[in-house]
Amino acid sequence: MSDALVIIPAFNEERTIAGVIDRLRAAAADLDVLVVDDGSRDATATRARAAGAAVVSHVFNLGYGAALQTGYKWAARGAWAWVVQMDADGQHDPADVPRLLAPLRAGTADVVIGSRFVTASGYRMGFARSVGRVFFQRVLVAFGGARVADPTSGFQALARRAFAFCCGDFYPSDFPDIDVLLLLHRHGFRITEVPVEMAPSPPARVPMHTPLREVYYTYKMLLSTFRSALMPRERG
Amino acid sequence: MTPDQLDIERLRQLALEQPESGVTRGIALVISLCFLLAVLDLVRRGRLREEYTPIWVAVALGIMALSVWFDVVRVIARLIGAWTPSSTLYFFGVLFLLILCLNYAVRLSALSTQVKLLAQEVSILRARLTTPKAEDGGRDTDVREPKSPPS
Repeated sequence: MSDALVIIPAFNEERTIAGVIDRLRAAAADLDVLVVDDGSRDATATRARAAGAAVVSHVFNLGYGAALQTGYKWAARGAWAWVVQMDADGQHDPADVPRLLAPLRAGTADVVIGSRFVTASGYRMGFARSVGRVFFQRVLVAFGGARVADPTSGFQALARRAFAFCCGDFYPSDFPDIDVLLLLHRHGFRITEVPVEMAPSPPARVPMHTPLREVYYTYKMLLSTFRSALMPRERG
Repeated sequence: MTPDQLDIERLRQLALEQPESGVTRGIALVISLCFLLAVLDLVRRGRLREEYTPIWVAVALGIMALSVWFDVVRVIARLIGAWTPSSTLYFFGVLFLLILCLNYAVRLSALSTQVKLLAQEVSILRARLTTPKAEDGGRDTDVREPKSPPS
């Protein structure tokens, strides 16, 4: 058993999941891999299992945040010291996983964010999402959070204390972003960023970024960040 | 005399004192009785839990009381500056429904959290039952299994 667990939340990712696990094994063979199948209707769980990953399958779709949290809960019941979370669509490069774990192993951070913007990477973000990223970056600072270059990156590594904290009921079921980062910062967790390479998001079968969804996301994130800013520190 | 020549306060008094018909009161009484019986029947058939009934029993009894003592509505209408008993009833009816909807949204939120917790627990437990130990590595840190002796 490794000291680190890679959590991959997956929803209908049968086309990419095996490839991601294979590349992960090639980049860091010693890591344990857990795929949290979030109620997929395709062969995601079967393919992940065949590729050698442990699989936890949700009975029905609970949302990205809930899938991540299931991974944290799984890890908290084991003896893993660190977890790395990455997407199942192949956007995150498994070769960056050791780089994400390095600050945790060195004891210099509790939360490491794989950032597209710490140094110039080849990543190109659409205009609307770039505006959103800068906006949320500023909101995070305005609410008293840490200055983070890429606050919406889902490629992160967490120390045991941090992922155990994220097992609390406050953790959002849909989008855990700056609201969670703010809470982690307020509870004294040390957050740092390391540069990573990211492929552009593959075209989704169901469009994830319709204007209405973006508006709702912005509204929801502002509200939950406000809540995070007011939440008593001893909670969670 | 045109309406604008009428004293506004006198007009309001007229509106407030318009007599209610016995038929309207009778209908309200019958509806409230039927409503109360429906609530009790739902409880009897196990389709409505007892803890959700107080509000509906109170609503039925409230309509019943108002249909008997309609003057209470007039007093309330005067107190809140309304013009007619009907608008007063309408106002409080809408307010009641708004509060009720908010209350249900709060209950739904609590239920969503509980369902999420349960679904996560079931998924984790099911995976632990089916995943080979060597792969899952997910043994409880607080439940130590005795190690098998070396062969």
